[in-house]
Amino acid sequence: MDEQTIPKLLKASAEKYGKRVALREKDLGIWQNITWEQYYQKTKYFGLGLLSMGLKPEDKVSILSENNPEWLYADLGSQSIRGVVVGIYPTNVATQVEYILDHSQSRFVVVGDQEQADKVLEVKDRLSNLQKIIVIDMKGLRRYRNPLIMSFEEALALGEEMDREDPKRFDSLVEQTDPEDTALMVYTSGTTGKPKGAMISHRNAIASARNFLSCTPLRVDDVIVSYLPLCHIAERSFSVLYPLMTGGITVNFAESLNTVQDNIREIAPTVFFAVPRIWEKMHSGHVMRMRDATRLKRWIDGWCGKKEKEIYDMECRGKASGLHTKALRTLTSVLHGYPLKKHFGLNRLRYVYTGGAPTPPETVIFFHSIGIKIRNLYGSTECTGICSVHQGDDIRVGTVGPLSPGVELRIGEDGELLFKTDGVFKGYYRNPEATAEAVVDGWYLSGDVGSLTEDGHLVITDRKKDIIITSGGKNISPQEIENEFKASPYIKDAVVIGDNRKYLTALILIEYDNVGKWAEDQRIAYTTFKDLSQKPEVHELVSKITEEVNRKFARVETIKRFTVLDKELDQDDDELTATQKVRRSIIERKYADVIQKMYKAG
Amino acid sequence: MQTSSTTKGESVGSPERAAAGPQLTVERLSLSFGGIRALQGVDFEVFPGEIFSIIGPNGAGKTSIFNCISRLYTPQEGRILFEGTDLLSLPPHRIVSLGIARTFQNIELFRNMTVLDNILLGRHLFLKSGVFSAGVFLGKAQNEEISNRLKAEDIIDFLEIEASRKKVVGELPYGLQKRVELGRALAMEPRLLLLDEPTAGMNLEETEDIVRFVLDVNEEFGTTIVLIEHDLRVIMDISRKIICIDFGAKIADGTPKEIQTHPKVIEAYLGEEFQGKESDRGAE
Repeated sequence: MDEQTIPKLLKASAEKYGKRVALREKDLGIWQNITWEQYYQKTKYFGLGLLSMGLKPEDKVSILSENNPEWLYADLGSQSIRGVVVGIYPTNVATQVEYILDHSQSRFVVVGDQEQADKVLEVKDRLSNLQKIIVIDMKGLRRYRNPLIMSFEEALALGEEMDREDPKRFDSLVEQTDPEDTALMVYTSGTTGKPKGAMISHRNAIASARNFLSCTPLRVDDVIVSYLPLCHIAERSFSVLYPLMTGGITVNFAESLNTVQDNIREIAPTVFFAVPRIWEKMHSGHVMRMRDATRLKRWIDGWCGKKEKEIYDMECRGKASGLHTKALRTLTSVLHGYPLKKHFGLNRLRYVYTGGAPTPPETVIFFHSIGIKIRNLYGSTECTGICSVHQGDDIRVGTVGPLSPGVELRIGEDGELLFKTDGVFKGYYRNPEATAEAVVDGWYLSGDVGSLTEDGHLVITDRKKDIIITSGGKNISPQEIENEFKASPYIKDAVVIGDNRKYLTALILIEYDNVGKWAEDQRIAYTTFKDLSQKPEVHELVSKITEEVNRKFARVETIKRFTVLDKELDQDDDELTATQKVRRSIIERKYADVIQKMYKAG
Repeated sequence: MQTSSTTKGESVGSPERAAAGPQLTVERLSLSFGGIRALQGVDFEVFPGEIFSIIGPNGAGKTSIFNCISRLYTPQEGRILFEGTDLLSLPPHRIVSLGIARTFQNIELFRNMTVLDNILLGRHLFLKSGVFSAGVFLGKAQNEEISNRLKAEDIIDFLEIEASRKKVVGELPYGLQKRVELGRALAMEPRLLLLDEPTAGMNLEETEDIVRFVLDVNEEFGTTIVLIEHDLRVIMDISRKIICIDFGAKIADGTPKEIQTHPKVIEAYLGEEFQGKESDRGAE
């Protein structure tokens, strides 16, 4: 479609697809359909509701909720009357919520439920701009007598009334939206410092979506499940932008956070995007389940897994022809590949993506060999998503694919990647200094170091500031080493340390569930995470994994010592970003004495 | 996943409702098993929409009161009135249809049935169609099945147990089983809910969760709640009124504040440590 703003796209889609299903939500145990008409109507009512409460162009509306259709109504409704939408991670704690509401000067905040409402109420006295808290699920809140609180239905009712008085009003407002308007602001989680609000215009959003879609022909009958945080640009693109641009992809919302995996199985999406953590979990879940399986199943899994990998290797070298190979491929897929795909709910997939952080190669190879061709997607909020992606059948492990159409690349002297596209954002809200550092002459400085292969695939080495230079002067990418650790089902996270030091060390965080299970099998009694993580046997286990990892690297890149952390890393303690990335600097500061010990002689 | 702590005061039964006169009246309740006198002339009144708690040391007779109300035991003396009806004149199965539901100290669910089936069982009293029409699943029986399933799904949604809907109860963690038991009680659409130690054996997070649900039930449906509980912090936080039982007799009643400072309570139950302080989960 050629419309130039997001609300115009919605209007056009509603006119074109009317009674077709746009969204689906599982409620009270049943999948409920929402048509494009209804989608548009609810959006209209919400937008007008805000208007009747005095929202003006460029005013900010924050959304703090799990994914649900109301999220989209609030998002598009606000944009339709030229408001700016700020998504906040539902996992953020009250102080982080306060920072974003305050910095963005939000006048309205849409919250999912009581838990989220309580966070805002806790800090409301310090938010002078805040006018209303609009609650989607009022359970437990009906007797809060706070004038700030109103229900989502009340807001819709206000809008409905306005619409009855003046039925043309909304359509003309949608016409007034301008491609250069800021449509949304995404607060980047930032592994350093306070979050920054990246302003993204309609033009940015649509250009980026167009780039992606031109190399990924999504179809009207495609189905996706919306389950990652919508405030992140990737999920926003898959759940809002791409369906609007292609008109007709059905977006499904899980019943609750705990049922996502079941719901994915029920829906069997055809387009799927997941972050590495989810792939790792699926993979290690499979590995752990096989340990409890019967001997026959274990044998089948082992044998098929091995054969599938061999065939995959041959495919990569272009030698997977011949009758024997084909027969073998059919056999393993009947016995192993297909049942597994079905189990994950990924048996109907057409396009499947990973992104947000590097995925451990071992995990990617596992999925590739059972026939789930995970494509790498690389991008950033500041480019409104995608910069490069695996296109067509050219899917390779270890690269993030060729540049997306409409994206230009320059590699700086220090190896830093610079991008130029129509998706490059308008700047950080109320932070011109940071904007000036991030965008120079229209080029976005990504902060990532990487290179291009001879045939045009992009390879990312690491974050520029994370590169370790040992006191011996050797440049090392910690990410590569950490990823090898994370491929083990027993390890959740690893932080490699060694900048300006003689050798490398690592802080290791164990995967509680899996190590717990392992301990039970070994008849090791334990009580809590702290207790388990400090068992000598667990130390021994990690030490074996470390040896295996070390074998894959040159001598200077090996881990000489490690410490198993006795506590889970937590977003609440600022150790992780909202996207569950490790905040290296905070961890290095927090565990300074532990690190110091690893560098003491003896 | 609710982790926020309970909001004090805001959710406690409101005084204007209390003006309507008691919903449950217990008068001179006495119960003995042979030579053991389990209850000796216990009196109390519960008003509509309030959260009312019964505390007391182990074996003081708290659960016996519940068992008298739900007619598992028949007291030798005394009267129990629920909205004007004398419960003691009724057989046990009629109690539920009056609008009284309860949960048990030790979970009493069907362990080999699913969560959904257990909750649907709570709808039993609303099933009116006969064996024949239910057997062939025609008209009325079908509608009934649908409306009851809808109610059960409402409760599943309310208690946030969607993920375990189809799971067998015996496989679930303890805290979740307690929630399912609460769900089954709610399926009866009670106006009075008797909860026997809902947080026993739970960790802090599970306790906060269940307390949040108890408050939600009270707020959302206006259900009167009578609570037996050992976790004093919970009791003091959410109850409007408390009575304390020792050796089968009522030794004190009043607001949480009055109970905390009542000399007899301190002596009989709380011990000297508790005075004025916020307690941990002592007393067990």
